[in-house]
Amino acid sequence: MPSRSALSPQPSALLDDRTVAYVVESQPPFEDLRQVAAQLAGLLLLGATGSREAAPGHPMLESADALFKTARERIESTRASERTRPHRDSLLCAIAALAEALQAARDLLATPCVGDFDRALIPLRSAYDHLQQATRVLPGFRMVAFEQGCCAGHSSSGSFAAS
Amino acid sequence: MNRYSIWVMEYAYVVHQPTSLFIYGAHNQGHRKMPYGYIVIKGPGVVATIDVGYNHTAYGEVLAASYGVENWQPARTVLAELDVAPEDVSRIFITHAHFDHMGALDQYPNATFYIQERELSKWVWAMSLERRFRWLMLGIDPADIMKLVDLARHGRLVCVTGDREDVLPGIDLHAAFDTHTWGSQYVTVRNDVAANSANSWVFAGDLIYSHENLRGADPADPQYVPVGLATGSQFSLIMTSEEMVKHAGGDATHVIPVHEEGLKDLFPSRITKAGLRITELALADGEKSRVR
Repeated sequence: MPSRSALSPQPSALLDDRTVAYVVESQPPFEDLRQVAAQLAGLLLLGATGSREAAPGHPMLESADALFKTARERIESTRASERTRPHRDSLLCAIAALAEALQAARDLLATPCVGDFDRALIPLRSAYDHLQQATRVLPGFRMVAFEQGCCAGHSSSGSFAAS
Repeated sequence: MNRYSIWVMEYAYVVHQPTSLFIYGAHNQGHRKMPYGYIVIKGPGVVATIDVGYNHTAYGEVLAASYGVENWQPARTVLAELDVAPEDVSRIFITHAHFDHMGALDQYPNATFYIQERELSKWVWAMSLERRFRWLMLGIDPADIMKLVDLARHGRLVCVTGDREDVLPGIDLHAAFDTHTWGSQYVTVRNDVAANSANSWVFAGDLIYSHENLRGADPADPQYVPVGLATGSQFSLIMTSEEMVKHAGGDATHVIPVHEEGLKDLFPSRITKAGLRITELALADGEKSRVR
């Protein structure tokens, strides 16, 4: 079986030190942005299914907000090389879209109505697309961890390696 | 007499899956093929599926390269073997929210989806936990949740709370909480539509991966052995196994795990041009066999 590094669009062996440093530095905030997107999607789902939990003070909204701010700071503090700039640009676009989605989600939970879903969902989809784009330009970034799926047992590198 | 025709449709597979995933504690016991599949149920004026498979566009490369998932085929190709198009499917029962069971939600534009409310609410809850709890939401794709939001907004998502009888005539949903996942469900088809059916099938989702989960390794001394992967408890999996066998009238072979390659030894089947297996479980009057 191929190793995980074989998944990468560019094999890690070809990465220079600056790029590797960037990857290591930006992986955690990337995962945090992915988590913020998931949290916002989850909140929207609660709202769309009419859950009584979908209220302005939902703890996940605060959690998403806090995680977002930390991730934004960490991404903004990274230094991009020519090689890593497209990746960083994708993350910055995702950040801008997530900021819009966060505000819209806050508004939506305060005054739920059908039209407001698009205000949150459209930038959220855009954020997801930018994050997904980021996974394509550098190795080490994934949108989904598969270890809980039916294929889980097959990874020769073990479930902890990718989590 | 059958009200519904029922097939197990393979849409991809892993050739060498460790046996320990199928059987709890079966370490160092080799590998076996693991089909990926969903169930198609065709009856008077209705086509339903149980689960939908995954979205290859999003995951294909990762799954193929990292886990050896092979020969993924889209719903349009898989269903064509039954002369069915994705647009024809009107009801979809999602057994649980893992990507390989509900990642292709957007491929069925006319379907209403049924999922346990607990499956969604607990995933959402897990998302609110701190990073060290992230194992609890592995396998979940934010994109799938966004698809669910769209379905809910358009009245195409039914959040079920507990058991529900006759979602279609003779078809029941059964909650299996805290088992493979928090809000798994399994589906029974009473194909004679009788309350005390003598012709029932149970579709287990991932509550079992193999018939060995229902009989153990020694047919002379059967026992329930849980699957190797659970967010809930092994205890709940075992008690649910007993429930499912009872719903199948005591016939464990009528409890259907889609990941069981051995279905081909129990029921008629064939390999399609795309290299995937169709297994035929039941034929309604007037329906032609798709495997002979």
